[in-house]
Amino acid sequence: MQSGGSDEFSGRLGLIFATIGAAIGTGNIWRFPRMVGANGGGSFLVPWLIFLFLWSVPLIIAEFALGKRSRTGTVGTFRIFSGNKFAWMGLWTAWISTAIGFYYAVVTGWCINYFQTAIRGGLGSEVDTVQVWNDFLQDPLQVVFFQALAVIITMAAIWKGAKAIEKVNVTLMVSLFILLFAALFLAFVMDLDDGSLDGFVYMFSIQPQYLVQPETWINGLSQSAWSCSAGMGMAITYSVYMRKDEDTTLNAATMCLANNSISIIAGLTVMMAVFSVSDDPLSAVSGGSSAITFLVLPEVFAKAPGGPVVQLLMVTMFFLALSFAALTSMISTVELCVRNFVDHGIERQKAVGFTTLAIFLFGLPSAAMWILVDSETGVAFPQFLEVQDHIWGYGLMFSGLFIAYSIWKYGWNRYKVWQYENDITSFSFRDYLDHGVSSFRDDFINTGDNDWWIGKWWDYIMYLGFPIMFSVLILSYFSDLILNVSDPWNPANANGVSIILLFWGVTAGLFISMNKFVLVNRVTSMNSSLWPPNWDLEPRPLYRNVPEGAEVSIDTLPGGEDPFIVQVGDTLPATFVDDYGDTRTYSGSSIEAELA
Amino acid sequence: MASSKRSSASIRVVRKRRIPVIALLMLFLISLIAPGCIQTDEIDQGEPASDIWSEDYANQIFPWASADNDQLQFRAYHDYFSMKARMQVLADRNPDFFQFHEGLLGGTNARGNEMTSADYEGWYYNHLSPWMKITGNVQDGDYNEFNGDDGNYADRPDIMLVGNHHAREWMSYEVPMFFLETIAYYYGMAGVDNDGDGLVDEDGWDGIDNDGDCSRLNETAQDSNGDGVACGPGDLGVDEDFSEQFITDMVNTREIYLIPLLNVDGNRYDREVFCGPEAYNGCDSNSPGWRKNLRDNTVTGITPIPDTDEEVNEGCDGVDLNRNYQFEWGLLIGVTPVPGVCTFGDPDFSQTYPGPIDTVDNDGDGRINEDHVDGKDDDADGEVDEDWMGGNSEPETKFIQDMTEMNDDNGDGASDFKTSLSWHSYSELVLWPWGHCNDGCVTPDDEYLTYHGDIMGQMTDYAAFQSGDFYPTQGDFCDWQYGVHQSYCYTIEIGNNFHEQPDDIAHISVRNLGIPFYMLEIADDPRYRAVVGIQNTTGTQWVDSPDEVMVPSRGEIPVGLCLEESFPFTSDINRTHLKWRLVEPTRQQDDFGPTEWVSVDWRLSPFELTNEPCVLLDGSNGTRISSNIPAPDTAVGKIHYKAVLGTTNGAFPFTYPDPDTSNYYELSITYRASFGSGILALMMFALIATMVWGGLGYTLRAMFDDERGVLGLPPDYESEEDV
Repeated sequence: MQSGGSDEFSGRLGLIFATIGAAIGTGNIWRFPRMVGANGGGSFLVPWLIFLFLWSVPLIIAEFALGKRSRTGTVGTFRIFSGNKFAWMGLWTAWISTAIGFYYAVVTGWCINYFQTAIRGGLGSEVDTVQVWNDFLQDPLQVVFFQALAVIITMAAIWKGAKAIEKVNVTLMVSLFILLFAALFLAFVMDLDDGSLDGFVYMFSIQPQYLVQPETWINGLSQSAWSCSAGMGMAITYSVYMRKDEDTTLNAATMCLANNSISIIAGLTVMMAVFSVSDDPLSAVSGGSSAITFLVLPEVFAKAPGGPVVQLLMVTMFFLALSFAALTSMISTVELCVRNFVDHGIERQKAVGFTTLAIFLFGLPSAAMWILVDSETGVAFPQFLEVQDHIWGYGLMFSGLFIAYSIWKYGWNRYKVWQYENDITSFSFRDYLDHGVSSFRDDFINTGDNDWWIGKWWDYIMYLGFPIMFSVLILSYFSDLILNVSDPWNPANANGVSIILLFWGVTAGLFISMNKFVLVNRVTSMNSSLWPPNWDLEPRPLYRNVPEGAEVSIDTLPGGEDPFIVQVGDTLPATFVDDYGDTRTYSGSSIEAELA
Repeated sequence: MASSKRSSASIRVVRKRRIPVIALLMLFLISLIAPGCIQTDEIDQGEPASDIWSEDYANQIFPWASADNDQLQFRAYHDYFSMKARMQVLADRNPDFFQFHEGLLGGTNARGNEMTSADYEGWYYNHLSPWMKITGNVQDGDYNEFNGDDGNYADRPDIMLVGNHHAREWMSYEVPMFFLETIAYYYGMAGVDNDGDGLVDEDGWDGIDNDGDCSRLNETAQDSNGDGVACGPGDLGVDEDFSEQFITDMVNTREIYLIPLLNVDGNRYDREVFCGPEAYNGCDSNSPGWRKNLRDNTVTGITPIPDTDEEVNEGCDGVDLNRNYQFEWGLLIGVTPVPGVCTFGDPDFSQTYPGPIDTVDNDGDGRINEDHVDGKDDDADGEVDEDWMGGNSEPETKFIQDMTEMNDDNGDGASDFKTSLSWHSYSELVLWPWGHCNDGCVTPDDEYLTYHGDIMGQMTDYAAFQSGDFYPTQGDFCDWQYGVHQSYCYTIEIGNNFHEQPDDIAHISVRNLGIPFYMLEIADDPRYRAVVGIQNTTGTQWVDSPDEVMVPSRGEIPVGLCLEESFPFTSDINRTHLKWRLVEPTRQQDDFGPTEWVSVDWRLSPFELTNEPCVLLDGSNGTRISSNIPAPDTAVGKIHYKAVLGTTNGAFPFTYPDPDTSNYYELSITYRASFGSGILALMMFALIATMVWGGLGYTLRAMFDDERGVLGLPPDYESEEDV
């Protein structure tokens, strides 16, 4: 594994397909049309597009830059960029992504099941889609089977590392594009069939009253933030596999634009199909939840013109595309987790096996627990899964905030260094702007590798825009919870506020306390006794994945002076200085060296 | 032979039929073109009245007198003398349930005044008002020394029915006489076929042609009373076959005090001097007839009055008896009557002169008029209404007041009259207290009074509303009966003239016959009957269910409620409204759970009366009231709604749908606004596509175009790049 320990994408397209695959998920296909329907059609596209450039692209740029320099997963990146005390932020980011992965595997399983049902003709015009959905969801064996299938496919895809991920992603994404375009064409024909392209017209008509409502803007922001996976840590992870001179800025823009392009195609497909068939398209579209995908769309496609063959083709293509979109997102989720284990010296295959098994096991409750039936509509829904989504979905925002924090921290660090170098002790805002704020951009973004030069605007967004947007999102989310959910403070209320704060608090508290004992250091025994008073701490080594010729110094970074942050193959120091200032022999050095 | 006969007969039958079949086909074809549905009955010539009914009924001959007796057949007016004579005859013939009286015997009245019979004689002609005590076994029961009548039973509710407060309103004593004749004739009978159609008791008093016999007449004959309404109250064949058993039961269980002609003085003067016996021939067009009694207000002759030596001063003399009762006497209109001064320049004031101001210290406390009759203790001395300002100054009103206050069979100190009725003319109205105020000033019993009033309004097709809303009247009979004695009191304004044509007496009397019987029926407990009645109506009312709501393609969504006409409906939004809320899916849905809905506050929309008919749940006719839900066209989701139906003073909030079965209706509404303009959408699409797809193409091209430099590179960096 010497020097071949580094793993990288074969080319630029490979990276882009992988990141696009991660970004495009079920959210583009079922969340986006719902948002368009509920927020006044074209009126929604305005904030959605604005926040693409205000939130998603800048954040992905930051992620790429961070990962490309740190060459580690999220935990390592935060350890390097924010310092040893903040490695837990990386763990939070990884955990949120993985926790979403627990139930996302279940959802991916649903998609695969619907694909196989469709191809067997089980979603024809004569079936009751509610019946199909309820029969499926209420049968834990089926759900778990397809969940396991999703996990196994994912595991197979990432088993071999970046090159394999790239291949799978390219295949799936190209297929997804083709399938979606074909579905779009059929939907267009359907919508045109009744003489008016009303689905198209609604989706692109600005209804002025919606533009002045804050909800439209908040929803535009949240959709933009969610859909691109910005802040999820996925871009950090994939940038670990970048070649040494890879572009980070234009790639980010391309990835986000591609994501939104797919949103428009998928959105148009759904809107046109629903509008052409449904008597009440807007309540069908905006009515809510996964129902639109699994209840409304099969019904809609079953009424497509062109006879049973076209109908079968359409519904099959749609669910195959949906499965592909979900799988590629699933791949990035698992890879994000796996990367963190690999960074800490665990063998890739072992890490993949362990992670996928965990994702399967922790996904089981989401798959089979608390499957309730909505008394109003008689539609089954997985409440445990819903609660999981409720809790972890918004945890994603903090991941974004942490990424911004690491950039602030770096800027402040650089300003301190500059002060030291120039013998300045007093704080000057002007100097901070000149020598602190823009330093991340100067040092890591505009490096000369990029096809797109990033101006000062990025600093404004990161330092000013980001905190504002984050606050608006979190405040609107919580005020919505408090105002619109009955009994929001009852911890037993699965949709309430308390349960979220509880889970977030416990998780964050656990991670912060793990920071010193698990993430940055590891516990050893002073005298082979397992009794806790005999425990001792020694640094945990972090292995970076640096492609050949791409060595870059991390000395200037807050956590960069740590001698235990090494590349695979490097020898670990034989001694270290502990918290008390004593120099001690590093117990694991011989083992680590052997491993390398 | 036989067979040929049969065949020719059958041919004849076929031929006979052929014409109607063609006619029916024609009718069917015409009805296709015609805007409304034409019923074949109306096109048919209809049946002659004589085919449907007995000859007597068809010619409106009443069974209690020979056909040529114009007065008793109600084709000519009674006068005081003939009426009194007839009352005496009827009382002589029916001693079991009629007892004739004139005035009161007198004694110490409820106010402690010594009264003699003469105190109740009219000022001028010196008659006592004749009256009839009507109750089963009238010769038994308790004897009332003051009033002079037998047949007082503590367990029988009492009813006072008074005609002719106003002298010129001649129908107001003909209707009571018609009522009296009806009782006299039908009491004790049962199952009489009144109209000779072979059916018994098939059409009672409700203003509806229950048996449909009127509508079998040809079209022109259906409106026999000429009021413009076919088969309405007062027409031949409507409410013509009432239950005799009901009459008997009412007489046996109620005490009825019928005073058909209260204002004998004024009536004689109107008939004999002012207008003449044929007043209907022109008197109304010259002057409206004599209204008041004959009090001498000018005091030019011998005082104290009566000064029979003097002629009546027509510009001034007389007191309006229906302004002379004591409750809220003399207020409101602003008249300050001065004893002996009847008018203040305005002749209209003279017409409603309420009588002189009281100058007596009625309670002997040294102060005068310090506690006006209004149901309150104005001077806070613990006694209520004990020193009045005026009213009760006339023999006729004293007669009514003393009769009311001395008729206390059960000795509880309160009047026994549970209901009371005052006949007037004209205007075709049913009125109830208050008379002295209007514009939202209502009695505590308003909804119950309204309920009964509406029923009597339906019975006669008369308009029904609170008296003060017609015009305010102070010192009115009903305000006093209700305000002081809590008697449910109604004023009926009969017909369309003071002096109706004699031809019209009979059918107007028929039209008004149900009302006094209704007053008898509810007298046992008018409030309870209203409560029960209102509750019964509410069971038949319904609000549009979601299936019945027609959501228009634009604008407000109307929701109707089918209202029973006797329900005391108020349009006050605080009491009657459609309560609704728009429930839409939240904009922030969970991705995996069921649809979440925004919970919003309920809002109220008022109900307004429409003139559209509707069918109540029991199959009878109701009136539609309608409310509009101002839901925006862009709304998607559900509307929850329920109707809250309040009565006029709010004691009854009824909710539809029935709260026992469901809390509210849920109406799904779809997006109704336009989806947008195609051209603008195309432009927007072009913009978005340019930015997203174009942007993607641009970045991809930049990515693979090595020739091109770095995008967005500032000029001062460009040189460095080259290096």
